[in-house]
Amino acid sequence: MATAIAVSRVESEKTPLNVLTLIPGILLLAVVGYAGKLLEKFLNTYAKVHHWTFPNIEYVLWAILIGLLISNLLTVPKIFQPGIATYEFWLKVGIVLLGSRFVLADMLKLGGISLALVIVEILLSLLLMHALGRAFHLTPKLTSLLAVGSSICGVSAIIAAQGAIDADEEDSTFAISAILALGALALFTFPLIGHSLHLGDTTFGLWAGLGVDNTAEATATGALYSDAAGKVAVLAKTARNAMIGFVVLGYAIYWAKRGQAGAVGNKAAFLWKKFPKFVLGFLAISLLVSFHTFTKDQVTSLGNLSRWAFLLTFAGVGLRTNIRQLSRQGLRPFVVGALGEVLIAALTFGLVLGANRIWGL
Amino acid sequence: MASKVSQGNTFNLSLDTWAVILALLLALLVRADVFRKIPW
Repeated sequence: MATAIAVSRVESEKTPLNVLTLIPGILLLAVVGYAGKLLEKFLNTYAKVHHWTFPNIEYVLWAILIGLLISNLLTVPKIFQPGIATYEFWLKVGIVLLGSRFVLADMLKLGGISLALVIVEILLSLLLMHALGRAFHLTPKLTSLLAVGSSICGVSAIIAAQGAIDADEEDSTFAISAILALGALALFTFPLIGHSLHLGDTTFGLWAGLGVDNTAEATATGALYSDAAGKVAVLAKTARNAMIGFVVLGYAIYWAKRGQAGAVGNKAAFLWKKFPKFVLGFLAISLLVSFHTFTKDQVTSLGNLSRWAFLLTFAGVGLRTNIRQLSRQGLRPFVVGALGEVLIAALTFGLVLGANRIWGL
Repeated sequence: MASKVSQGNTFNLSLDTWAVILALLLALLVRADVFRKIPW
């Protein structure tokens, strides 16, 4: 999967963007996502009519599963690929619009807690991944990429770091595949663990936002648990994403000092270039809502628009996951990534429980 | 598309910036009551 993604990323950079080529894939995202939504509604109604005890499975899971079935049992024609790749764009549109569901007071409280936890999580994850990389004799740059990917925000962070530290394309592909494979596993394991431990929505959301690496998977993991948990997961993940520039800058300076990457010129410009701009959009919408720029109905509409954007994202998460391609990736980076992820999941779980005790989430 | 946009395009804007522009535009249309009620 990741090889395909990495290759398509590189290829796509060479060709000009043609909006028309995106339409078939976007339509496929919409059909798969909407089918998931219909399936949720149908099953709930059917279970109610027939007096069945059937767990309420959110559209999120159905959209991902339908996407997974299509991408793994059928060959998705090339015409759909550019549009499917837009799932990341819809994710960011959805996150900005989700800002409407946070008023300033929530944002300051939960955002402050998230940021404090994110800083601890990043420091511990970086140390852990470097220790594991050394123990398993991975190349230092592959270790750096895995550390950036698992501590901050998965694929985007790896791509940002790859250019900054002049890492090999192959290292980047390995790191991306490990992070994506583990993100796919987290999607299903985190909610199971959360339900078995009866975690509250805020606690689970924070854990998903801190422990799951890729933003799309973190959002989906939270949403799979509950709507409220999804909201908190996005906030925590956004706080984590906001740190991307600082960590990548640190690595760029480290490798430049060793003479193995180009020197960093203007550090402020570097930080701004790497800073995820959707974080600002998310804050802007939240501020507008806090100052009553929108009526109550309009805020509901913005929240619903965000849900529609996420619907396309979740369909994309399923459609771009190819289990066969995943299994072809190298084992060692995957083992290092998996070990690191399990430890980071345990660590972030401890952090969230600690925060719950201190702040009563 | 993601990387294409993020790597630069005709307007040299990143994927994030395009996402923010589209989201703010949608918010503006909701505010102006062009989209009255978005269902879910």
